[in-house]
Amino acid sequence: MAATSAKRDYALFDADLSGAVLNLRLLRRLLRWLRPYRATFAVSGLLVVAASTLQVLLPVIISIVVIDGIIQGGADQQAPDFGMVDVVEWLSATFSAHPLAAACVLYAALQIAWAVLGHAHRMTLTSSVIKGLRDLRLNLFRHLETRPAAFYDRVAVGRVMTRVTNDIEALYDLLSGIGTLIGEFVPFFVALIIMLSIDAELTGVLLLAMPIMGAATFAFRRATRQLFRQSRQAVSALNQNLQENLAGLQVVQLSGREGRNLDEYQRINRRNLGYEMRTVRWETLYGAFNDSVAHVAIGLILYYGAGPVLQEQLSLGSVVLFARFVEMLLHPIVVLGEQTNVLFRAMASGERIFQALDWDEAVHEPAVPVTLPKRLKGAVEFRRLTFAYGQDEPVLRDVSLCIAPGEKLAIVGPTGAGKSTLIRLLGRFYDFADSSIFLDGIDLNHIHSHDLRQRIGVVLQDFHIFSGSVADNIALGDPAVSRRQVEAAAQAVNAKGFIEALPEGFDTQLAERGQNLSQGQRQLLAFARVLAADPEILVLDEATASIDTETEQLIQDALDRLTAGRTSILIAHRLQTVQKADRVLVMDQGRVAELGTHAELLAKGGLYQRLHALQFQDAQALP
Amino acid sequence: MSVFKSLLRLGPFVRPYRVRLAAGVAAFGFARVFEGLVPFFLAQGIDRISSGSGDVGGPVLGIVLAVLARYVVVTQARYAVRSAGQLVAFDLRQRLYDGLQRQGVKFFASHSIGDMMTRAVTDIGLIQRVIAMGTILVIILVYATLVGFGFMLYFSPALTLLLLPPLPFICYHAQRSARQMGAASLQVQERLSDLAALTQENLAGIRTIQAMAQEDNEIQRFDRTNLSYANAFYRQAQVNSRMMAWMPSLAAVCSITILGYGGHLVLAGEMTAGALVAFFMYVNMVVQPFRVAGFIVNLVQRAGVACERLFEVFDLPPEIPDQPQKAPASKVRRPIQGVIDVRGLSYRYAPGRALALDDVQLRIGRGEMVAIMGRVGSGKTTLLQLLARLLEPPSGTLFIDGADVREYPLAQLRAQVALVPQDPFLFGQPLKANLTYDDPERPLERIWAAAAAADLKDTIKGFPEGLDTIVGERGVTLSGGQKQRAALARGLIREAPVLALDDCFSSVDTETEERILTGLRRDRAGRTILLVSHRVSTARHADRIIVLEAGRVAESGTHHELIQHGRLYAEMERRQGNGEHPIPVAVALR
Repeated sequence: MAATSAKRDYALFDADLSGAVLNLRLLRRLLRWLRPYRATFAVSGLLVVAASTLQVLLPVIISIVVIDGIIQGGADQQAPDFGMVDVVEWLSATFSAHPLAAACVLYAALQIAWAVLGHAHRMTLTSSVIKGLRDLRLNLFRHLETRPAAFYDRVAVGRVMTRVTNDIEALYDLLSGIGTLIGEFVPFFVALIIMLSIDAELTGVLLLAMPIMGAATFAFRRATRQLFRQSRQAVSALNQNLQENLAGLQVVQLSGREGRNLDEYQRINRRNLGYEMRTVRWETLYGAFNDSVAHVAIGLILYYGAGPVLQEQLSLGSVVLFARFVEMLLHPIVVLGEQTNVLFRAMASGERIFQALDWDEAVHEPAVPVTLPKRLKGAVEFRRLTFAYGQDEPVLRDVSLCIAPGEKLAIVGPTGAGKSTLIRLLGRFYDFADSSIFLDGIDLNHIHSHDLRQRIGVVLQDFHIFSGSVADNIALGDPAVSRRQVEAAAQAVNAKGFIEALPEGFDTQLAERGQNLSQGQRQLLAFARVLAADPEILVLDEATASIDTETEQLIQDALDRLTAGRTSILIAHRLQTVQKADRVLVMDQGRVAELGTHAELLAKGGLYQRLHALQFQDAQALP
Repeated sequence: MSVFKSLLRLGPFVRPYRVRLAAGVAAFGFARVFEGLVPFFLAQGIDRISSGSGDVGGPVLGIVLAVLARYVVVTQARYAVRSAGQLVAFDLRQRLYDGLQRQGVKFFASHSIGDMMTRAVTDIGLIQRVIAMGTILVIILVYATLVGFGFMLYFSPALTLLLLPPLPFICYHAQRSARQMGAASLQVQERLSDLAALTQENLAGIRTIQAMAQEDNEIQRFDRTNLSYANAFYRQAQVNSRMMAWMPSLAAVCSITILGYGGHLVLAGEMTAGALVAFFMYVNMVVQPFRVAGFIVNLVQRAGVACERLFEVFDLPPEIPDQPQKAPASKVRRPIQGVIDVRGLSYRYAPGRALALDDVQLRIGRGEMVAIMGRVGSGKTTLLQLLARLLEPPSGTLFIDGADVREYPLAQLRAQVALVPQDPFLFGQPLKANLTYDDPERPLERIWAAAAAADLKDTIKGFPEGLDTIVGERGVTLSGGQKQRAALARGLIREAPVLALDDCFSSVDTETEERILTGLRRDRAGRTILLVSHRVSTARHADRIIVLEAGRVAESGTHHELIQHGRLYAEMERRQGNGEHPIPVAVALR
């Protein structure tokens, strides 16, 4: 049921992105998905503070406990040791061990505790966020799955798909990114507090390095942002060229274009190389810069620390401690720079996800749906039905028609006559005025679309084959359909023959879109699918493509069985179908042009007769 | 090891950049020494302070100079090595493109385009990384060990030796983690592509799903995949988190050794406090690279496989051998007459498979128009593809103007035998570029003439952009019939002496087809035309009709003769005349 009237609008489903890295409203909305798991999330927060404190205390043991306390024999200027010295002394006294050994034991204990708490923190964080993201993704999918046909007519499927895949993926990336940032910044603040308590001036000197690194990071990001974008474009141009060239290789070879195409590819390849080389240049300049600043900072600590130590305002161990903290203090900036892109992408993705979730376009459902009887009779009535897609010109005008239960109606008419629209409305894929279509006398708008569609079996021209086995495709995931029913349905529509000839019969896996089946075989499979579902009404859009004559005969034969005793509406492209129909509806420009049996219409000498004559021109030209 | 064997095959691709690589590798050595000087000067400074001298100017200056020198050297070295990786990737891409263009029907019957794209993107990417990063990492590993241990030995040989035992454990653990990480992230990738495939398939079939009221089943199916993705992601995070806990813990064994034994040495007066501090930094310098060692092994292994996959393509000879220099002079640069002679042509796609063509004898005169009919799989397409040498005929079976087609230079042959293939493939380019695909310099009049002959002129004029209309996925979507007529125009524009049309009217309505064929017949001017079709209405235009059956010529004659004959062709005519043929409804009323 390809949309003939609606135009694809590639801009339709694209969030009006604010472009802000931190959008608080959006962040709040994202966090709401974590609410069911907030207990785990909170525990994770406590764990990271505890783990970071231990991580920061490790260098304190080296510098304050060992260097100041043991080696320097208790400096005159005692730096804060957070009780570490007391613990070591207690350990040493209790086990009558050397203070150095006691310090080593304490170091080992803290290291193990840090490792365990850190692991617990990371896993609790991951667990809570993953559950939230899983919920979000499922909700998004459920929401998209139930958008109406009118929506899918206009939007490019790729756009919808990336919401579910790439955009949610960006949030998973954000999870990893935020985990890294927390692991960097919490120790940063704990270290900062300790340093400030030891020597504010020296801490200030060290903090001077931060704006330098920040500026370098900023400059690097800005210089490379454009470059990265160009580079991405070049890469996709490169891949696209190769992909297209391989897809059309036969044409390439028949046209003798190999040389020219290789040159063309080389041009794109060279452009890509140019961007890559410039990127490498920037990355090498920036990559080594941060280490260098950190090393210079160590030199500065030595330079500014020497005086106070000699004046006994600062312990030697404190200078060592500062030197050890340099990495902890400066690394978060580098990581922050690395993670801005992740953050930015995640924010943009979040906006697109919520835009999709907020998209509430839907087919109007009745407030109190009618409960359908177990089996419908299958009488269909169109009563003065007029319909237009959106604001466009009406495609159906004043269509009135009664189809009796079990009747076989063929519809013919030129493209744009409204044939497809008529059957789409019958499945309530679009909203139309009340009291325009009736099923067994019930206004269609009073039936829930989901209930209705279980009663109408649709075979489209380009019907969809899902990857999975042949049997799966016939049962279509409905557990109520047994294997026996599947095989019986296949048998009834002449599909069993070719299915059993497949390598694994009904269990043969079908490639996406059924590429390993012929057009005719796919049609038979679709018939089996409908027959297995056993709907009261059959709607068929006959395939136009030419099918070899033998399969064609199998299809016609199967169609007879499919339509037997079932109200059937067939958009016909084959004469045989028309001849077998009880009545033929000829549509033209959205109106009922002619209606009657094949013979009646032929005799009438109108539109139908012209169609017929054209079809038979070959035969009549024969001697 | 076979991994290295396959990587060694990269030799010829790396050789042009060997100077660059060697210079980079050498420079890294110097950079490491400069880096090792920083703890060295720090130790000096600390010792000066602890000995009561406030003169730390010398060590501080030393640190600053060492940092500057390292920065300059290391940036140059990294650039040299990484750029070599990019240059090799560039060359590999060109080589792959060239190699793939020389493959054809047979190769792509067993290799998908997606597979080739993976080789072009992922495999070349891996090789680029193993040259760029892999080299750097190996360098760091070797130099860091040499330089780090050098400085440590200088300060205290005894302590240095005590630090050795934990290193193998770190190395082992790193490798194990890398392997687990690799497996875990592969799982994540696979679950993600499951999820993407499911979503793609679901959305592409959304109309069917909604029409059959299958949304709930689909949502359940989705959540199962969604859950297994989340589980895979959790597992990956777990492996990663464990590694983040284990690595520092193992490294801490070294720290504790320095603290205990180093502290003892300082107290005994055999080492200075400054050296103790420096030791912590050197150990870090040595251990850090060991932590990535596992990833190097992993990367090298994957690159080795990538290399094998690339050379699998590079090693293939061209599917259709072309030896223009061996061609007889008379066959080069002379328009052919178009006399086709098929002498006992048999062909099978692969040994053991059934004959696609079985002893076909056929002579087609200059300017003759021959229709070829037959069931699916009767050999029609194979015959045309052999004629244009998309497939290679056995020698001595297929002649044009009395010369074996294998003797013609490929370009010459294909320029003169214009084959319009069954699949009307159009490139995502303007229509004009598509129509003049073999020669973009063609004059405008000729483009319009070809478009007119293919009944495409009005269609093109109907587009606001005319000939500049971009077609394909990112442009205007053409109908099946429009595509076929465009592909036909692309063949007609060449005005080749032999025109071979492979079922290229299947989506064109009979009336339009009638018009095009009548025109072709009228204007053919000595051109030989071969016409594959399913439709009797198409075949009727031909001077002669050949019906193939299981690779053999079953019938041959004019329309009337074959009707009289009363076999295959007559049967087809009867069926198609009886309305099993699509009604050209859409066009009939226009």
